[in-house]
Amino acid sequence: MPSMPDSEQSGNPISVDPTRLKLTSDDASTGTLIGFHCKDCDTTVFGTAVFCQACTSRNLEAVELGVKGILYSYTIVRIPPAGWPGNVPYVLGQVELPQGPQVLAEVIGCEYDDLEIGMEVEMTLQAVSAENGGPDKAVYKWRPA
Amino acid sequence: MSNIKPGREVMVVGVGLHPFGRFPDKDLGDLAIEAVLSALEDAGVKWKDVAIAYFGHVYYQGMSIGETTLSKLGLTGVPIVNVENACSSGSTAFWQAYWGITTGLNDIALAFGAEKVPRGPVTVTAEDAPERYIGGDHMMAGYALRGKRYMEETGAPATALAEVSVKARKNAAMNPYAHRKDTYTIEEVLNSRMVADPLTLFQCCPTSEGGAAAVLCAREDLAKYGIDESRAVSIAAAVLTSGDYNGRGADHSAFSPYRTEPAAIQAYEMSGLGPEDVDLVQVHDAATIGELQQIEALHLFPFGEAWQGTVEGRTALTGDIPVNTDGGLLAMGHPFGASGIRMIHETVTQLRGEAGFRQVANARVGVAQCSGAGDVTTVHILRKG
Repeated sequence: MPSMPDSEQSGNPISVDPTRLKLTSDDASTGTLIGFHCKDCDTTVFGTAVFCQACTSRNLEAVELGVKGILYSYTIVRIPPAGWPGNVPYVLGQVELPQGPQVLAEVIGCEYDDLEIGMEVEMTLQAVSAENGGPDKAVYKWRPA
Repeated sequence: MSNIKPGREVMVVGVGLHPFGRFPDKDLGDLAIEAVLSALEDAGVKWKDVAIAYFGHVYYQGMSIGETTLSKLGLTGVPIVNVENACSSGSTAFWQAYWGITTGLNDIALAFGAEKVPRGPVTVTAEDAPERYIGGDHMMAGYALRGKRYMEETGAPATALAEVSVKARKNAAMNPYAHRKDTYTIEEVLNSRMVADPLTLFQCCPTSEGGAAAVLCAREDLAKYGIDESRAVSIAAAVLTSGDYNGRGADHSAFSPYRTEPAAIQAYEMSGLGPEDVDLVQVHDAATIGELQQIEALHLFPFGEAWQGTVEGRTALTGDIPVNTDGGLLAMGHPFGASGIRMIHETVTQLRGEAGFRQVANARVGVAQCSGAGDVTTVHILRKG
């Protein structure tokens, strides 16, 4: 194994995708979903944007999208995609944020029978080992609120 | 919306397939060439008269694979374009062939597609993408999310989704080119291995290998090339779209179950035809829920009601609007680059009245709709004579 640069030797997980998840504590125990809000058409998008996806304006501001949402749909995945590092089966949730955009992520901490479209969920973070070494990834997941 | 209006009327004059299935002893070129030769023979067109060729394929098989494949037929110097547009690669190749001819650039064009899809669940993003950790990049899980929501909103039972698969297999049992030809019951569909609730294995299309080809020619040039006009089928609309913003984001197909609607509206406008004129339709049924939502997006059923029409047998070969008459992706299988042109093949075969046991009575207008990752949608409308 090649030695890691100093910045990656802290042992703390890093955001699985810094364009969608901002960590708010050094130990990666808390964070917020992030995106952009268009000041021209009032659309909010999840994740990175240079141009507004709805109206193509560049008049965007970075915003925090918080940790709350509503379960729009879900499925229990029993045959996972290649490279899935988690448990099988796993629950995949499609969650609508108050600002409008939807976010796909695993739902944890919920019995299958308790899953219900329309239920309130909140984001939680889990550390997942990186595929090719390097620091763990802090991955955003949903759990019942 | 395209600003260019169609010019010359364009006909499909020949179609050909390599059977769909698994062919470990054949390479991509073998699959493609068999379909191309079959289409050229069907059209009565010589390779040297083809002015341009478009090759739809997705998985990397070496650079300029269209050129190296067609070089086996002789080096004629014509432009050959390799097309990658996900599961719509083949139908995009066909769309390009249409627009080249209608605008007067070419007289005769070849659109062909082939694929050897690896086994296992299909993903879209690169191997090291964050999606691998997040777990959302899973085609069938995306369809499952749509299915779960659809059932919640419409009250559709699981048996209604299963009915789509049962119908697909019935149609494919009469199709020698299909990957899966054995039929099964609703119970067998529901009891097959669960992939992602509510979708069982028999509700997900197999990944497959195969090839498909179509030869297109301007109507006014048919006589010049000695092509039989009586078997030529007219292209009434050719539409290709990508995703527009739907208020939720465009990063996963789960978010856009009705992306086909804008393309369908364009196609109806272009053809001067409406949903009431359509006699049969091929749609992108990568999963059972896909078929239901596509035929709603095409305005063949009111939103939320396609499942009832399916249960009532309206989409069967004997129904008033037969859907996926050759077995669709669910039974034909899904070699990405070939599937879009396979839909054209079936539509042409039906409109010619040459579909044998699968023949839809008095078929005059057929629609072929193909979706792809990136919210690609193609809608083609074909008309007899």
